[in-house]
Amino acid sequence: MVTNERPVVDENAEIPDAQARTLAEVEERGGLPVPAWLKIIWQNKKARFGLVVLGFFVVVAVFAPLIAPHDPRNNDFVPFSEPSGTHLLGTTQAGEDIFSQFVYATRTSLIVGVLAGGMATIIGLIIGMIAGYAGGVVDEVLNFCINLALVIPLLPLMIVIAAYSPVKGLVTVIIVIGITSWAGGARLKRSQMISLKERDYITASLFAGDSMWRIVFREIMPNMTSLIVVGFLGAAIGAIGAESGLSFIGVGDPLTISWGTMMLWANNSGALLGGQWWWVFPPGIALAVLITALAFVNFGIDAISNPHLREE
Amino acid sequence: MAILEISDFDVSYVTKSRPPFEAVKDANLTIGEGEIVGLVGESGSGKSTLGNAAIRLLDPPGTITRGKTVFMGKDITRMNEDQLRAMRWKELATVFQSSMNSLNPVINIEKQFLDTIQAHTNQSDAQARRRAEDVLEVVNIEPSFLKFFPHELSGGMKQRVALALSLVLEPKFLLLDEPTTGLDVVVQQTILDNLKAAQQHYQFAVLMISHDLGAIMEIADRVVVMYNGELVDDQPAHQLLQSPQHPYSKILLDSYKLLWVTPDELDPNAGVKKIAEAFQKPTVIPPDKSESVVLKVTNLNKTFSRRRGFKTTTVDAVKDVSFELQRGRITALVGQSGSGKSTIARLITGIEHATTGSIMFGNTDVNTLRGKSLKEYRSHIQMVFQDPYSALNPAHTILHSLMRPLQNYKGMNAKDARARAIEMLEQVGLTPASRFMNKNPHQLSGGQRQRVVVARALAPDPEIVIADEPTSMLDVSIRAEILEVLNRLVRDTDIAMLFVTHDLLSARLLADEIMVLNKGQVVESGKADEIIANPKDPYTQLLLSSIPNPFVELGSTAAD
Repeated sequence: MVTNERPVVDENAEIPDAQARTLAEVEERGGLPVPAWLKIIWQNKKARFGLVVLGFFVVVAVFAPLIAPHDPRNNDFVPFSEPSGTHLLGTTQAGEDIFSQFVYATRTSLIVGVLAGGMATIIGLIIGMIAGYAGGVVDEVLNFCINLALVIPLLPLMIVIAAYSPVKGLVTVIIVIGITSWAGGARLKRSQMISLKERDYITASLFAGDSMWRIVFREIMPNMTSLIVVGFLGAAIGAIGAESGLSFIGVGDPLTISWGTMMLWANNSGALLGGQWWWVFPPGIALAVLITALAFVNFGIDAISNPHLREE
Repeated sequence: MAILEISDFDVSYVTKSRPPFEAVKDANLTIGEGEIVGLVGESGSGKSTLGNAAIRLLDPPGTITRGKTVFMGKDITRMNEDQLRAMRWKELATVFQSSMNSLNPVINIEKQFLDTIQAHTNQSDAQARRRAEDVLEVVNIEPSFLKFFPHELSGGMKQRVALALSLVLEPKFLLLDEPTTGLDVVVQQTILDNLKAAQQHYQFAVLMISHDLGAIMEIADRVVVMYNGELVDDQPAHQLLQSPQHPYSKILLDSYKLLWVTPDELDPNAGVKKIAEAFQKPTVIPPDKSESVVLKVTNLNKTFSRRRGFKTTTVDAVKDVSFELQRGRITALVGQSGSGKSTIARLITGIEHATTGSIMFGNTDVNTLRGKSLKEYRSHIQMVFQDPYSALNPAHTILHSLMRPLQNYKGMNAKDARARAIEMLEQVGLTPASRFMNKNPHQLSGGQRQRVVVARALAPDPEIVIADEPTSMLDVSIRAEILEVLNRLVRDTDIAMLFVTHDLLSARLLADEIMVLNKGQVVESGKADEIIANPKDPYTQLLLSSIPNPFVELGSTAAD
C-alpha cells in the first residue's frame, strides 16, 4: 500500500547498524571516541605498518639532538672519510658528519610535510567548500581558479617562484609548496560538498535559520573529517617530495639540512661516481620509506569512511 | 514435494572487533513446488539475511553458523561457488528492490536477455530472442521494447524487465526481496499482477520478502512472520488474518487495519484502538473562516525548463493549483511520485520560486522573498522530512539539532534553549529526555529519529508545518504512532499543516481535507472521509483500487 519504502535503510539495518554505527562513531565531532577510529586504522595491516614507520621517523625527528653524535654543521672532520665508528655514514666533502645530517634532515621533511601540507589543505578546504556550497557565479569563478591551478605544471611553477623569491629559506619553500598544491584537494572537497549539501539535514539547518558559514563549517565539515585527513596526508606526501626535489635541483635553501640538500651535495661532489653510496642512498631510501608510510596510513583512513575496506 | 527446505538455520554477523550478532535464529522453513510464500517483518528483523543466506548470497561478515538449505534434494549450504553458479538463474533466480538499477546501461534490453540465455544454454540468437519476447509478454511488455536501453524505461518498467529476465530460463524457485518497494502503488499493483500471471504460467515457487503486509497478502499462499531473527508465525494467508499466532503478528495486522477501518470496527482490546481514537477530528470549524487562513495559494504554476544542446524542453510541474491552509487543520496533498506534490511543498517554503501565481502568507507574497526576509519567513514555516535517516546531522547530538532553531529564531541563550529542547523531546514522547538528548542520531531507531525531526520542526513555534511523507520510510507498526504525534501537536497548538503523501489511507486517518494531485493538477479535493468513501475522479479511484487490501475478504470496509 505504501510505496516509497526504506530504499537504502533496509539493507543496512539488517546488519544491526554495525557498520553504520562505527562509521558514525568515528565521524562524530565533539565526543570523538579516540579508540574507535584508531582501532579501525590499527586493524588495517598496511596502515599499522605505516603508523609504526611514521612513529619511528617522528621519534627520530623529535630526539634528533640526542640521536645525532655530532653537530650536523660542524665541518672540522676529515672530508670524504668512509663509514667508521665515529662517523657511521662517513663525512662530506666539507668534513661534516653525514649520519648527523641524515638525522636532522628528518626534522626538515616532517616540518615541511606538516606545514606545507597543512597550508595546502586549508587553502583547498576553504576554496573547495565555498565553491561547492555557494554554486552559481561564485562556483564558476572559484572552479575556474581550481582548474587553472590544476593544469599549470607544478614543478616549473615552484622552481620559478622559488628561484625568484627575494628571501631564501625553509619558510619560503613551505609557502611556495603550500600556495601551489592546493588545487587537487579543493576539487575533491568541492565535489564532496556538492553531494553533502543536498542532504536533508542541511536543508533542515537552513530551516533552523543557520547562516551559511555555520552550515559550511559546523554542520557539513564535521561530516567530511576523514576526507580532510586523507587530503592532508596526500598533500604532506606531495610537499615532502616537492621540498626534496626543489632542494636537489638547488632552488631551495642550500643551507637547510634536508634529504634533498644532502643528495644535492652528494651529487655535486661526485659521490655516486666515487662509490660513496653511504652518502647518496640513505637520504633517498629514507624519503621513499617515509612517503610509503604516509601512503599506507591513508589506506587505514580510507577504511574509516568506507567500511568495505576494513580488515576485521 | 518441497523445493526448498531450510532447517535449523542460524546466521550471524561475525567480526573480530565486536561480539557476533545473531541475525537469524533457528529458522525452519519449507517451500513447496509452485508455492508462493511471503516473509514479512520489520526492518532489522533478519528477513533479507535469511533470504540471502538461504541461497548463498550472503556477503561477509555474515556467516551461516548452523543448519542447511536443501534445494531440489541438494544441500546447497556447502556447495562450492562453481557448482552454484551453474544453478543460479537456471534453477534459482532473484529479483531485488535494486534489480531495476542493475540492468546494464550500455547495452539494450535484447542484448541483456541474449547474454543471460546464452550463458546457460546453446540457443541461437533467433531462438533466444523469441524466448525473450515470450517472457516479456507475460509481464505485459511489448516486444518492441527489446530495442530500448534501460535509461529509456521508467522505474516500474525496468523492474518488470528485471522480473522477466529472472524468469527467462524458467527457474524452479524465485527469491523476491522487496521487489516493489520504492515504486508507486499503481506500478506496484501492475508488477504484482504480472507476477501472479507469470507464476500461473511457469509454476515456479516464490519466497517474497517484504515489510508490506498488503503486497504479501495480495499474492502469497502462505505467510511467514519474522520478528527479531525468529520465524514466529507460519500459516496460510487467509488464516493469518483471522488468527495471528504471535503478538507481533497481531500488532502488524492491527496497524494495517487501523488504516482501513473506522475506530468502531476495531477489536476493542487492540492496542491500536486507543491510537485510532486519538484521531478524532474536530467537527466544528471556527465560524470566522477568513481569520483562520494562514496561507493562501492562488493559481500557482511552476514550469521547469531544461536545456539540452540547442533544444529546450519545458515541464509543467504544477498547473493552476489553488488552496488554503487553516489554523489547526490538516490538509493532505496526495499524488504519485512526479505528480508535483513535492514541488508545491518547495514553492511554499521558498526553496523554489513559482513561475506564476501567488502564495500569500498574511500580506506577504512568498514568491518575492529573498535572503534575509526569506530566513525570517522560515521561522513561521517548518518542515518534517521524509527520511529520518538523513534529516538529522550524524555529526551532532539530538540536543544540538533541537537547540539551533531556538537559538536562531527565539534568540535564546544556550541554557534556555537547552531547557526548551528537553521540554520538546518530552512533548514528542521521548521520555525521559535525559536518555536521548546526548545521543547521536545513529543511536536512535527510525521512529525515534522521526520524533526528533517533528520536535525540531515545532521548536520555533511555526504557523505552518509541511510534512513531506513523514511516515513512508518507517515500519508499519510505528507509522501510526508518528501520525498520532503529528495529529496531537497540530490540534494542541493550532498549527496549519500540509501533509504531503502518496498514501491515501494515512491521509484519511490524519487529514481534514484531501487534495488529489495528478500531473501537477488538482483533480479532486474535499473532506477526507468523503473522498475515500466516494471518490469521483477516475484517478482517485485508480489510486484507491491499487492499494492492496488484505481485509476485503473479511468484509470490513473496503474502499473501492
